[in-house]
Amino acid sequence: MDKIWSVAVNDLRVSFRDRSIWLSLVIIPLVIIFFIGLANGGFGGGGGGARLLVDTFDQDRSDLSAELLANLKVVNPDIMLCPADNNADDVCRLNGESLTEALATGRLTDGMVSATLVIPPDFGAKALAGEPVNVIYRSQNATGQTGPVLQALQAVLQRTGGAAVAARVGVEVFENSGLVGATFRDEAERTTFRQEIYDTARQTWNDLPPAVTFSESAEKEGRKPSGFSQSVPGIGTMYVMSTVLIGCLVLLTERKQWTFQRMLTMPVAPGQVVAGKMLARFVMGMIQYAVAFGFGLILGVYFGDSPLALLLIMVVFTLCCTAFALLLATFVKTEMQAGSLLNLVVLILAPLGGAWWPLEIVPQWMQTLGHLSPVAWAMEGFRNVIFHGGGVASVIPNVLVLLALTAVVFLIAVRRFKYE
Amino acid sequence: MSKQALVEVRGLKKTFKRKDGTVVEAVKGIDLDIYRGEVFSLLGPNGAGKSTTISMMSGLLTPTEGDACIGGFSITNQPLEAKKLLGVVPQEIALYPTLTARQNLEFFGRLYGLHGRELAASVDETLEFIDLRDRQKDRVDTFSGGMKRRVNIGVGLLHKPQLVYMDEPTVGVDPQSRRRILDTVIRLQQDRKMTVLYTTHLMEESQELSNRVGIIDHGQIIALGTVGELIQKVGEEDRLVFNVGEQPISEALLARFQTEVPGVTKATYETVELKPVAGMEESAELVVEKRSTGQMVVVRSGQVKDGTIVVYAKRGRKALPDLLRIANEMGVDVLSVEVREPDLEAVFLHLTGRALRD
Repeated sequence: MDKIWSVAVNDLRVSFRDRSIWLSLVIIPLVIIFFIGLANGGFGGGGGGARLLVDTFDQDRSDLSAELLANLKVVNPDIMLCPADNNADDVCRLNGESLTEALATGRLTDGMVSATLVIPPDFGAKALAGEPVNVIYRSQNATGQTGPVLQALQAVLQRTGGAAVAARVGVEVFENSGLVGATFRDEAERTTFRQEIYDTARQTWNDLPPAVTFSESAEKEGRKPSGFSQSVPGIGTMYVMSTVLIGCLVLLTERKQWTFQRMLTMPVAPGQVVAGKMLARFVMGMIQYAVAFGFGLILGVYFGDSPLALLLIMVVFTLCCTAFALLLATFVKTEMQAGSLLNLVVLILAPLGGAWWPLEIVPQWMQTLGHLSPVAWAMEGFRNVIFHGGGVASVIPNVLVLLALTAVVFLIAVRRFKYE
Repeated sequence: MSKQALVEVRGLKKTFKRKDGTVVEAVKGIDLDIYRGEVFSLLGPNGAGKSTTISMMSGLLTPTEGDACIGGFSITNQPLEAKKLLGVVPQEIALYPTLTARQNLEFFGRLYGLHGRELAASVDETLEFIDLRDRQKDRVDTFSGGMKRRVNIGVGLLHKPQLVYMDEPTVGVDPQSRRRILDTVIRLQQDRKMTVLYTTHLMEESQELSNRVGIIDHGQIIALGTVGELIQKVGEEDRLVFNVGEQPISEALLARFQTEVPGVTKATYETVELKPVAGMEESAELVVEKRSTGQMVVVRSGQVKDGTIVVYAKRGRKALPDLLRIANEMGVDVLSVEVREPDLEAVFLHLTGRALRD
């Protein structure tokens, strides 16, 4: 390990001796992050993810169900109910299609919406009767994670349920009070009485501040994702890929200047030399991420509430790029060839994977194709944390995919790598 | 000097496969012992297989067949143990140009397993040895070719190895730096008691430095021994080279040389096509390379052929007056004469029919 570290430290020292590194590691990425961030909505929110799209199926169509949906938007103004709130800009991104449960399932899986909500046909009646009601809520948040939509739903259901309970209790208390005339002439009178209590209770709830609200106060403005919440991880990821993949060029240069061969004549295992080189590229990649996210923090960008989840994605993605760098090193023969190949790989995989714009805004087939790029898995993880409030559990699938890809690419690279 | 072998090479072979599928045998099975404390040089023309051999012996290339043992450790099976005893000075300047001399030495020193004070002391000592202490903090890319060569050598000496491989370390350096490098090799043997394997295509270097020489050609050792032993192979004859220009030479002249002059064993005549030296074509007199000897000669403008009589004689200087007299009697105008005492060049010529420079 000592020799691996020596090789890595030396590699970093040589890299930082070249002053142009500051241009590619700091200046250019930050300029691009800034302008792409502005294009994505700048400080004022946007980034294709500030709105919380919720596919809704109101199978009850009662006053109570309509009220539940309306209250959802009161509790969290960022919630857009699809298809009800769709507009000429196709904010629900339905592309003219009718929303079916099957389509909704696909949209949820693809991360196009934050949640799906199904209100069953007997919701209103059962709620008023005080019977248990199952409102179906689906989201990509892992079990135990309460996203903003679920929190809003829970708050609204608490109100609705509370009013219904008050109405049922009121009717029972009245009938069992033993007072003269405390009986209903017919069922219609009973229903009217119950509705009056329900309305009164509901009004009382409405006069109280909701248990959960997402209304923004001035000092919390920065807690909302902005255009930079997309550009920082996106452009950061693209430059990490570029910085790490340059590792193949470094190996080529070292072969050319014979320092690589010289190391192989020393009492060091060849694998240690290559591991040291790759470790240096990994560290460079992490520095690149630190530069990008550090700049984001200076700009006051909101990156969600789970720095650990973000770090996990950064580490795994950088590791994946390191494996790719080693693989590319087995193909390239000249510096010119390496330079061209690097540009090609980065400029295809980055936009394809959603580094330049959110994948949610591209057609479905493009999203599927985009997931051939490791960038897509990293960006999806970042967006889960930053835009959907996810934690470590929400990025585990992405981390696993990237780790599997890393293992496969690394094995191929090791098999192909020639020391001679 | 004791005859204990530090390096034992047995049946070392390397074949490469070309893209068209043909197989090239770069090294065809080398057997070699290098004794402790000696300077052994591997002498041969470019492309003879010297670098491939040294690459296999240092663990850089895997032999197709055979093995090399250093201090009893196989370079293929126990590479780390073998490499601890070995310092390699490659033909290329294998340094980081943007780092300083000291930083280069420190980095490679760590890979040799040196740390802390031991590393610092070793780097200081090496800088002193290669006489670059005052330039230790300067970047290598600001150094002259000779200084780079010295740092390149220094890296191979950091861990005080028992054995140093030096692969054509004087390539591309000025005469002064070359002299300094040769003196370094002598000091390594005399002061540090190191064993040195030195590859070169320059007969003079090999002859000056080596206790023993292996002559390599087409991937095979064709002769092995001390300089004296190798020269004996050509019978210790001097070579007298007569330049006769375009004059026709008769067999009778060659026969008289062999029969009438004591000590002459053989006389040959050869002509070569003259090639103008680049940039000299427009001169009144053409400057040409005389390929049989490698020397540059001035000949008449328009001359396209050059003739040489080579006479092998045991006491060449003593035979010279008689040879010139006979040539004069036969009407041959000798333009110049060169007397060459036996050397490794002659040995190579004797063994291969080619000059080392060819």
